[in-house]
Amino acid sequence: MGIKAKLKAASLLSVWLLAAPAAFADDQPVKGGTLIYLEQQAHTNLYPPAGGFYPNGGILNQITDKLTYQNPKTLQIEPWIAESWAVNDVATEYTFKIRKGVTFSDGTPLDANAVAKNYDTFGLGNKELKQPVSEVINNYDHSEVVDPYTVKFYFKKSSPGFLQGTSVIGSGLVSLKTLALSFDQLGDATKIIGSGPFVVESETLGKQLSLKARTDYNWGPSKLEHQGRAYLDGIKYIITGEDSVRIGALLSGQADFIRQLQAYDEKQVSDQSFAIYAAPTRGVNDSVAFRPDNPLVADLKVRQALLHATNNKEIVDTLFSANYPQAKSVISSAAAGYTDLSSKLTYDPALAEKLLDEAGWKKGASGVREKDGKPLSLAVYESLPQPQNKAVLQLVAQQWAKLGVKLQVLAGTSGNLVTDNVDPAKTPLVVAEVGRADPDVIKSQFYPKNRDALLQKGGLNPKATFSDDKLNGILETVASETDRDKRLAAAKAAQEYLLDQAYVIPFFEEPQVFAGAPYVKGVAFEAVGRPSFYSAWLAEH
Amino acid sequence: MARYILSRLGQALFVLWAAFTVSFVLLQSLPGDAVLIKFQNPDYGLSPEQLADIRAAYGADGSFLQQYAHAVWNFLTGDFGYSLQAGVPVSSLLATNLPPSLLLAASGFVVATLLAVLIAIACNLSGLAWLRGLIQSIPSLFISVPTFWLGIMLIQIFSFRLRLVPVINPGPWEGLFLPILTVAVPISAPLAQILLKNIDEVLTKPFVPVARAKGLSHAKVLWRHVAKNTLLPVLTVAGLLFGELIASAVITETVFGLNGIGGLTKQAVDSQDVAVLQAIVVIAATAFVIINLVVDLLYPVLDPRLKTKLGAA
Repeated sequence: MGIKAKLKAASLLSVWLLAAPAAFADDQPVKGGTLIYLEQQAHTNLYPPAGGFYPNGGILNQITDKLTYQNPKTLQIEPWIAESWAVNDVATEYTFKIRKGVTFSDGTPLDANAVAKNYDTFGLGNKELKQPVSEVINNYDHSEVVDPYTVKFYFKKSSPGFLQGTSVIGSGLVSLKTLALSFDQLGDATKIIGSGPFVVESETLGKQLSLKARTDYNWGPSKLEHQGRAYLDGIKYIITGEDSVRIGALLSGQADFIRQLQAYDEKQVSDQSFAIYAAPTRGVNDSVAFRPDNPLVADLKVRQALLHATNNKEIVDTLFSANYPQAKSVISSAAAGYTDLSSKLTYDPALAEKLLDEAGWKKGASGVREKDGKPLSLAVYESLPQPQNKAVLQLVAQQWAKLGVKLQVLAGTSGNLVTDNVDPAKTPLVVAEVGRADPDVIKSQFYPKNRDALLQKGGLNPKATFSDDKLNGILETVASETDRDKRLAAAKAAQEYLLDQAYVIPFFEEPQVFAGAPYVKGVAFEAVGRPSFYSAWLAEH
Repeated sequence: MARYILSRLGQALFVLWAAFTVSFVLLQSLPGDAVLIKFQNPDYGLSPEQLADIRAAYGADGSFLQQYAHAVWNFLTGDFGYSLQAGVPVSSLLATNLPPSLLLAASGFVVATLLAVLIAIACNLSGLAWLRGLIQSIPSLFISVPTFWLGIMLIQIFSFRLRLVPVINPGPWEGLFLPILTVAVPISAPLAQILLKNIDEVLTKPFVPVARAKGLSHAKVLWRHVAKNTLLPVLTVAGLLFGELIASAVITETVFGLNGIGGLTKQAVDSQDVAVLQAIVVIAATAFVIINLVVDLLYPVLDPRLKTKLGAA
């Protein structure tokens, strides 16, 4: 066969290969088309460690790649921009081999040097450029470029959570040009240059963002079935704050995919055979945490009473749907290190009454329990990002009112919230929730040097006197134990201890809920529920 | 006249300075500040030391006077600063939010005026006398319709059911049709009420029967004599309503997902984004000053009796 004939045969074969699957058109990805995505809120600053905010993560996940890929099904860490890696026994040194030929969308190479600069910024912050430290990187010391495609990271102390930390949205890799910009300037999405399957094409601040596919993209996670460029030509994010407008637009065919579907709207969406995606955020459940520095909740018996006075089943049944599982522990049942502790989370009003009586809180004339002339009256700020949080807290307030405990639910905006939330006298309770598919997440939420939900000494509240060394010891073990089994045992111990001390009342496992038109296929979600449109495509409709 | 305008300009500058300073003092006296609100957000998970470093980097720990001097100097040099929450220059935020707001407010105002005039005319047409009671109740109906509900209903009916105009990805005018109507309806109500009341009042004045006696028809009396005499109070109210228009636009912007100053203000208040709020306060104060100046200058044009008073001032 001559070259021409060979080519002809090859093209015939490829025509056949392309044509044959047409019979199964429904499962064969179609290239092209722009996905219209309705987002509830505009993105804020797109510095990758700020990817925790849902709208930010929804964009960053399309335009940046990560060093590693966490398989959302198995939670295993798989290769991505790093082809392979090695960790020393005490988890203080990590070496990554970088995949060759990867470029940022500005044409610069994604090599060891770029990775080192990214992690120096995320791990240490940059005071001059006002860039804060990333919360997923613990004990970071410095980086070393071993050769153009090998980078090594050194840690001051063991950092077993780091490998997983390289897979999260907050660790998205950006070009040196982006890293050189001051934090103030990173709200402009067009300045965020990543190596991801999509590139920011244009933006109308606060209103609309257009992404287009990178046709030369060829470095998706190596174990993923789909390789090469994204199927979609582009994604258009349109900010549509009003729930009913997002749903109406989806159902009337004006949009393809929407974020933040409220539980009470799920039925009208599924009734019309549209898809509902409830991606778990796999971390600390939607909960309230106590601030034991406040004398009203300093007594373990009071906290236990309130824990048993809370009817989670009623919360889930009244306000939510099957996509919001009742909490069985401090962390989600889909999270790494989860232990079923539902026996400690029983609804038992009789026990709650008994505990409050024992603690010396007697019902007063107004029906509110009192001790030494003080009423058992607590306050909590609603948390706007959590689904229907105000309704949840108001329902809890009703449940507690039956026992003579007052819970005042405060509105969740303005500077008061920020200053009051670090003052246990004003807010003996705080809403807690954080997503990360690694046991480190428990430490993130409760350790004084991190999110400090309990407001311990050395944490956010400068006047704090409370600290629980036993808890902090367990949390430190979670973040630094290099033996996997021992680390998971510490995670279990942390969950048990937090509930035994009744420091936290978990309500439900929080998902991020999306809805899509029936012809939208192949949408994936990373381990904590941010959508990925790399393998998404639009079937004929 | 020149002296009058100069003194008004002086007043305007004073109002601007006062608005700037009062808003600055109020913002500073609120608990928390933009840096704290932004970075104490659990999404960053920063430690107290890291937080203190960032506050120092932004100068949020400086004294009140230092921060005030800094803000005034920036404004005078035309630098509106950066929005801490959005991470972009305030000037770009204004550039994307001010024009659509002005367009919506101005077209909403024009449509509202048209609606009000239509109602007033319909009420005074002799052919429609039997409908007068019903038409007179339209303003009360309009005023009691919540903007939010009206917007949602218009979208549900015209966009989702009848599929006449898209709300998502509409053309430039297509997208404005429903929002303009939403803004115009509640604003048209007080205008119509004042028009109706004034027409009734003017119709009782002695010159009306005189004009009639000269053989003018009812319509001509209305058009030539009554209309001119009712415009003055309507103009005063219109100047005030324009401010309300921008405020009610917050809801319209949210419902229709439009960019605008209303939504920008709400976000900036929530996050105590000082740079953004100061810019908005100055712009709003400027707009009010200009509108009131225009209204005041129009008075003597409409009512010759006011000319002499002005000249004396």
